[in-house]
Amino acid sequence: MPLHILLPLVVLGIAGIAVLLHLIGWSKPATLADDAAAKRAWLEEFPDDPPKRVVLSHDHHAALIETEKGHGVVWPMGADTTARYLTDAKISRTGKGLRIDLPDYTAPRIHLTLDAEEANQWPSLMEHPA
Amino acid sequence: MAQPDGAPRMTDQITFPDVVSWAVPFFIAAILIEVLWIAMKGKGGRYETRDAVTSLIMGAGNVASGLLLGFIAYGFFMVLWALTPLDLGTSWWVIAVCFVLDDLRYYWVHRFGHRIRWVWASHVNHHSSQHYNLTTALRQTWTGTFTFMMIVRSPLILLGFHPAMVLFCGGLNLIYQFWIHTEAIGKMPKWFEAVMNTPSHHRVHHGRNARYLDANYAGVFIVWDKLFGTYVPELEEEKPDYGLVHNLGTFNPLRVAFHEWVGIFKDATQPGITWRDRLNYCVMPPGWSHDGSRDTSEEIKRKYLAHHPEKRGTPGF
Ligand SMILES: [Zn+2]
Ligand SMILES: [Zn+2]
Repeated sequence: MPLHILLPLVVLGIAGIAVLLHLIGWSKPATLADDAAAKRAWLEEFPDDPPKRVVLSHDHHAALIETEKGHGVVWPMGADTTARYLTDAKISRTGKGLRIDLPDYTAPRIHLTLDAEEANQWPSLMEHPA
Repeated sequence: MAQPDGAPRMTDQITFPDVVSWAVPFFIAAILIEVLWIAMKGKGGRYETRDAVTSLIMGAGNVASGLLLGFIAYGFFMVLWALTPLDLGTSWWVIAVCFVLDDLRYYWVHRFGHRIRWVWASHVNHHSSQHYNLTTALRQTWTGTFTFMMIVRSPLILLGFHPAMVLFCGGLNLIYQFWIHTEAIGKMPKWFEAVMNTPSHHRVHHGRNARYLDANYAGVFIVWDKLFGTYVPELEEEKPDYGLVHNLGTFNPLRVAFHEWVGIFKDATQPGITWRDRLNYCVMPPGWSHDGSRDTSEEIKRKYLAHHPEKRGTPGF
């Protein structure tokens, strides 16, 4: 197929599908129903490290996890979640919550949406054992 | 190109249509139909905007990388073509045999893609979505050329299948695999499931469940997995959980495309390990580590069975 047809087709196709999916309402981030759901989401990534403690965010979109090995977070990847340990993390405040910079090519930046109280509390929970 | 003795070859100047790019309008239409189907029925799969856009960009990038780097593999094939005295021509049955043999080639390249980290670094991105829908089919590698897996096609060229025909068959193979990336279709008729790769078989391949790891490498014909012992059926009681053993925390297409190459580089260049370890980080199965701190799929299955001993001997274990 000639490039001058293929290229607009691909660009418009991707843009069109993106707009359609968004209008249907399929851009909502994953929600963690309760502590048990957050625990399950963590175990999906780290089946050998059961959480000792779970702190679910007030909006149910993220969770702080503590295990034998340290602290980690579960956060939404679109409609699903993923999780990482916070080893060597740089944590900073943003207007909407916290930003976590990790030395991890597959998860370099995590933006957590938190209320003011959580954004104040979580950094200390992330650094010190409870 | 002429044979050494100067006699013209049967298939001197042949052109096959670039089937994958012609299929793009069909891909877009089919995705729209699947989206509307799921939206109306409320079942049959899941979509998420950013995930789908990333998959589609990976697909576009795959075509672009083919345009930029395709000459390397094609040049290699043309060298082999110049060397071989064999020429099978382009009759319909030769194309049919070529298609079947190229599907066998696909099986092995795909199996290497999951068992050799160097090749996995390219293939991993096809598995990096936690979704399984028609856009997942288009989440294709940008770095296939660097795996050197074109070598696996050498026997076909040397047997006398023209490179353009082999690539044509490879294109058809890829197009076949598009429609099986869906949860909207349960099981196909029994005879079809027995011979062909289907949505059900390929859902297993995309599952990160311990049971489903390293199974169903087929492209078009599932018979290869049955023949080589890698077939695992989709079980009613165990839904595939899609994605990677360690799921990505980014939708950035550049990171999706290159993350495992970066991982190999970091592992192989770390201080204090032997040269053998460095090589092993490139060629051993994904999850291999010099100190055993990570899990390969065998280890994941072993750990799973330790917790669920009753599942020993069931499919995939
Ligand atoms: Zn695969
Ligand atoms: Zn696939």
